This record gives sequence, structure tokens and C-alpha cells, in this order.
Amino acid sequence: MKSRAAVLYGLNQPWVVEEIEVDEPKANEVLVNWKVAGMCHSDEHFVTGDMVPPKEFLEMMGVKDFFPFIGGHEGAGVVVKCGPGVTSLQPGDHVSASFVPSCGRCRYCSTGRQNLCNMGAGTLTGGMITDGTHRHFVKDGRPVKLMAKLGTFSEYATVAEASLIKVEKDLPLDCVALVSCGVATGWGSATNRADTQPGDTVVVVGIGGIGINAVQGARMAGAKRIIAIDPVEFKREKAMEMGATHTFASMTEAIPHITEMTWGEMADRVIMTPGVLHGDMMGEGMAMVGKGGTCVVTAISPMQETSADINLFQLAMWNKEVKGTIFGSLNPRADIPRLLDMYRVGDLKLEELITRRYTLDEINEGYQAMRDGVNIRGVIVND
Amino acid sequence: MKTKAAVLWEVNAPWSVEEIELDAPGPGEVLVKIAASGMCHSDEHLATGDLPFALPIVGGHEGAGVVEQVGEGVSWLAPGDHVVFGFIPSCGRCPSCSTGHQNLCDLGALMGLGKQISDGTSRHHAQGQDLTLMCMLGTFAHHTVVNEASCIKIEEDVPLDKACLLGCGVVTGWGSAVYAADVSVGDTVVVVGVGGIGANAIQGAKLAGAKRIVAVDPVEFKREKAMEFGATHTASSMAEALPLLQDITWGTMANKVIMTMGVGDGQVMGEAMALASKRGRVVVTNIHPAFETGGANMSLLDLTLMEKQVVGSLFGSGNPRADIPKLLGLYREGLLDLDGLVTKTYPLEGINEGYQDMRDGKNIRGVLVYE
Repeated sequence: MKSRAAVLYGLNQPWVVEEIEVDEPKANEVLVNWKVAGMCHSDEHFVTGDMVPPKEFLEMMGVKDFFPFIGGHEGAGVVVKCGPGVTSLQPGDHVSASFVPSCGRCRYCSTGRQNLCNMGAGTLTGGMITDGTHRHFVKDGRPVKLMAKLGTFSEYATVAEASLIKVEKDLPLDCVALVSCGVATGWGSATNRADTQPGDTVVVVGIGGIGINAVQGARMAGAKRIIAIDPVEFKREKAMEMGATHTFASMTEAIPHITEMTWGEMADRVIMTPGVLHGDMMGEGMAMVGKGGTCVVTAISPMQETSADINLFQLAMWNKEVKGTIFGSLNPRADIPRLLDMYRVGDLKLEELITRRYTLDEINEGYQAMRDGVNIRGVIVND
Repeated sequence: MKTKAAVLWEVNAPWSVEEIELDAPGPGEVLVKIAASGMCHSDEHLATGDLPFALPIVGGHEGAGVVEQVGEGVSWLAPGDHVVFGFIPSCGRCPSCSTGHQNLCDLGALMGLGKQISDGTSRHHAQGQDLTLMCMLGTFAHHTVVNEASCIKIEEDVPLDKACLLGCGVVTGWGSAVYAADVSVGDTVVVVGVGGIGANAIQGAKLAGAKRIVAVDPVEFKREKAMEFGATHTASSMAEALPLLQDITWGTMANKVIMTMGVGDGQVMGEAMALASKRGRVVVTNIHPAFETGGANMSLLDLTLMEKQVVGSLFGSGNPRADIPKLLGLYREGLLDLDGLVTKTYPLEGINEGYQDMRDGKNIRGVLVYE
């Protein structure tokens, strides 16, 4: 069938909204009508090249050209058609995208670490999770890759059952879309990976779609102080609305204040969620971590950057720890429904996260707004 | 097709080894030629009525074999694959499976019915009646048809008559120590009851670095076996273990107490709690009769003031899909003794003799081995 989609043809180019061809779902695949797509910074990382694998890596994976590429990995939609062998979904079901698939059978899925499912291995290569072949093609007949094998910047996409989580129909799909990546990642970074405890002092560096939810998570976990750091005033204001107790424009500005308010003990948890993380930001990040404290690295760093400015003497002597996280170290199948239920009872704020809604045709405008710091989260809504 | 199976037609009757009719696998199901089956105490619980499952039933839930045929839609098994059965299925999608607690998979709710997971009907029939399956498996048979959710694919280098033990007893015992009790380096651990479960709780406690492991069993042969598996001390009863622990721990008692008796008894919980230290943990792994009355005899004041914990454990709180391959890996490296667990093997026809040997305390584990 035909579908309209936002396609990226190369680095530093705009998204091209055009018609693509989508094939029918085969075994263990599902045709989804994406209704809402979140405009996450990770898709922008493909425009800038931060997340485009180097040539040697692509050759190793047997991929000739990385582009063309359909963006979008934060989304919610409705099941149109199921291929053979699909047991957990049927047409009409509402689904959340899950940018990490969960097979439910590998060692990681089997031990409560679905965010590390072995099926995630091929995320940046082409083809379907199921059999490696393509279901999506651009006008000239070339196969096109899908961001995280989801491609929520397309009105329709054929995706693996393993990448879809059924959700209840009473939930607004724009809220479901936000939870599928940014909300879960930020919230889990604070609650699960940082393991924020009641009474903690927590610092969140970078208040975008991830950081704002780390603030929410820290608030819900009972943090005493939540210090939000962002150069953009609008984002600092949003952080206060979502539960921050203090804000600063930079880490440099925050450090003396944190020293004073904690009587020199510094923060129990520091969560790094800037738009792009560079190794030279880690020095100040770690300086804000107190004895026995934890620094969680959630943000995406350029793939080929290999050094971080961390004082290892202090790391050892003060028993600090640095922890990476993907998807906030949560389990998509358990935690996406769990977070949506927290929204239902009013604990988790979701509508407040959406700064503006765009049509698919307005995608480039939406990303410009993100770059300009005008949006916490922009979403694309398809009729 | 026809196959041979041990069927229980009524409570307190012997197992009847007879020819049964087996249907082809339906969607999501596989036909498995079973190589061996452990004779677990839980199947004896069927015969005594402690586990009130629907009869007539094909017994057996600790098995391994080779896939012969797969039904429609089976996606991760093929004919020729070696499998160990998980006595609890794992769907991989429910809240429990999604958070590392496959032992509590929601499909387990269907277990008492003993029918097929896919559609609630039977593939096994005898004398004009549908048969149910112990744990939806029925491993006391030369062949069975089960859902793929109950099959864990394993490498082919491990002998199936040893691998079958991983389906229940080994992981249940080992995990009771490693996961449920969370035995830490330097702990003092008591294992009460040294059968197919207890022997593996001892092995788990040893690998986790316990300093002392006190094995409690009235049967001398089992106390001797316990020492071979890694126990440092033995006692013939909890009453005898109490002064022993007071002595060797300088009165601080055991960090972990693991209950793995043939049949649980609420009236001895007080004695078990008395063996535990401040903040000590008592793990209840053994099966108590479903209709046990009188509750558990233990002091709740002791529980509060000494901050003791009582923890239940099913399948050793392990995940079948992760832990069965993991423990086979330990066996390969010589860190888990499976060979020493098997006291005697029997053909399917010897099942009643095997269970009598279990009742007589002669076996750590009896195993049915099929040709």
C-alpha cells in the first residue's frame, strides 16, 4: 500500500515528506497506522550524524548505504492487519511503539532486562527484525530503513510484533506516544537507574523531553531537592512546573549553590540528559556527585567520541559510580502500561509535556523549534 | 499416534502404565519424544491428593527430550531440537515475564486444569476419556504434545537424562538458595530436608560462598549425600540442629534457613524460625498440603523484634529461559553436580517401584529413562 512518510536522504538535509510503498505484514509482523509520533532528539541525531554508524561498521553489518531513512521511534497507533503467527495483537488494537523490541525469550528478556533484548542488535541496520528483508520502499524502488524498525514518521508501517505493546483504548494516543520513549527513558533514569531514594538531592542536567521526565521521576520517588539545569529560561520554568525545586542556567553556576545547600555533601544522584552529551561535560557532572553518589548517563553522545573527562582518583576515593542507561533501564512490556496507569490516576503528567502539535508536513518546522529551544516536546499528529 | 504413559486414574491408586492415544500438535504446540523424566515429589502429591488436580492425569513435569514435530505458528523450535520442559510456562509478555519473574508467568494460572494452553482441550486420551497433564507436560510418557511456551531449547552436548533434572528440582533447590534466600559470601545456611530439592539448595549455597551449610534430614544416607554436595555439618532433626547452630555460630544462628522437606508442615515453622538469626530469612520452598489447616506455628513477636523474614519461593524464584541454560553451563564447567543426584534409574514400567524407593528414603532422585 501507499503511505506518506518523512524520509531523510542524507546528513544535514531536511526531512522529505513523500509517498512510499509499504508491503503487507509477513509472519510475526503487524501493519500499524501511526496516529501520533513524538519528535525526539534521537531522530535529529541521524540528521547531524551523531547516531549514523561509521562506514566500517556499516560494511561489517553488510549495509551499503545508510540512507534513505524514515525517522520516528516514539509513537502510538492502531493495528490495521496482522501477519501469520501474531498472537498478542489483533486489528483495531491500540499500540505503543517500543524502540527496543522485546522477544521475551533471550537471556535479558528472561531476567527483567527487556531494554537489553538481543533483538535490539540490528536496530541500526536495514530490514525487518523477523527475516532481514525490507517492507518499505521509496519512489525509485530503493528499500528504506526505519528508525528503530518503527518509522513512526510514516502514516503506515509494517513492524515486528516484538516492537509493539498493546495499550488500553481509554488512553489518549498522544500520551501513549510520549511514554513510549522520552517519558519512560527520563522517568526510569531517575527512579530505576539512579535509584532515587526519599530525601535525596537530585540534579538533572538538560531539560528536554528526557530531562523533564527525570524531574518527574525524582519527584515521584520522594527527592528532597531537584535541581534542574538548562540554559533556556522557558525550560527552567517548565522544570519548576514539573517538580524541580531549584534551577540554574549551567553546571558552573549550579556547583557553588549545590555546595551551599547540601552543606558540602553535594548531590546523591546526577542525571545527564542534555541534547547531545560530550565527554568534556562529565567533569562538572561528576563534581556535582557527592560521596557514594551516582551519575547516570542517559543522553546520546556522538557515536565515535571515545573519551570522558572524569577524575578517577575522586571516583575511587569517594566511591562514586557512573552508570549508563537505555530506556531508563525499564521493561517496555511492563513499564509502558505501568506509567500510563500512573497518568490515569494523575501522578504522572503527560499533557503538560506537549508544547505544540504539528502535521507530518510541518516536521522540519517542528525540528527547528526543538533546535531553538522552544519545545519541550513537539508531536506529529496524523488524522 | 499411540504412545505409552503412566496415568493416575484416582487418588491413592498406583500409576497405571498403559497405551494412550496422542493427537498431532495444534497451533503453537510441539510433539516431543521424551528421553527421561525425573520422579519429583510433586507428582507423589498428585497421588496422595495434596495437589488436587483434575484426574485422570498423565504425571511427570521434570523432563527432557527431542522435538519430533511442530504445529502451525511455532517460531523458535524445529524438529531435532533438544528441549527441557519448564514446569511453569513462560509467555514472555505478561507483567511477571516482563520483569524477570518468569516463574510467575500468568499462563501458570492454567496449570491446575492440565489442558493445552492454546485452546483448553486435550491431545492425550485413554479408554475413551481425555487425560489432563501434570503441569501441562505429562513427562511420565514416551511422547507428549505441549505448548512451545513450556519448552526451553538447550544445546545438544548435555545428556538428556541429566538435563531433565533442570526442569524442576535442580533450579528449584539451587534458586531457593541463590535467589530466594539470597545467600551471601560468609553466610551460615540451614537446609531442612535433603531430597531432590534440598541437595541442590546445598549446591547453590556452596557456590554462593556460604561459610557453613547445615543439612537436616532424618535419613543417614541423605546426610551422607549432603556432605558430598557441600554441607559442612548435618543434623537428623531441627531439634538437633538448634544446639549445633548455637555452638558453631556463637549464638548468632543462621542467616538463611531453606525448607525443602518432602511435605511441608506448618507446625514446624516455629522450629525453623528459631534456627534463624536476627534479620535471618526463612525460605519456604516445599509443598504444603493444599488443604492444610492450623496455619503456621511461628512467633510473630520474634518476627518483628528480630526482623526475621519468611519468603515463599516457586521454581527457586528463577527464570526458566535464563536459568535452565545457565545451570547447564555450570554443569559443563563442573560447578554443578547433576550425575551425583541420580540415585537410580527405572524404565517407565518401574515407576511404582521408583516411588516406593522415594517413600523409603532410598533415593535423592530417581529418574525414568526411556529408550
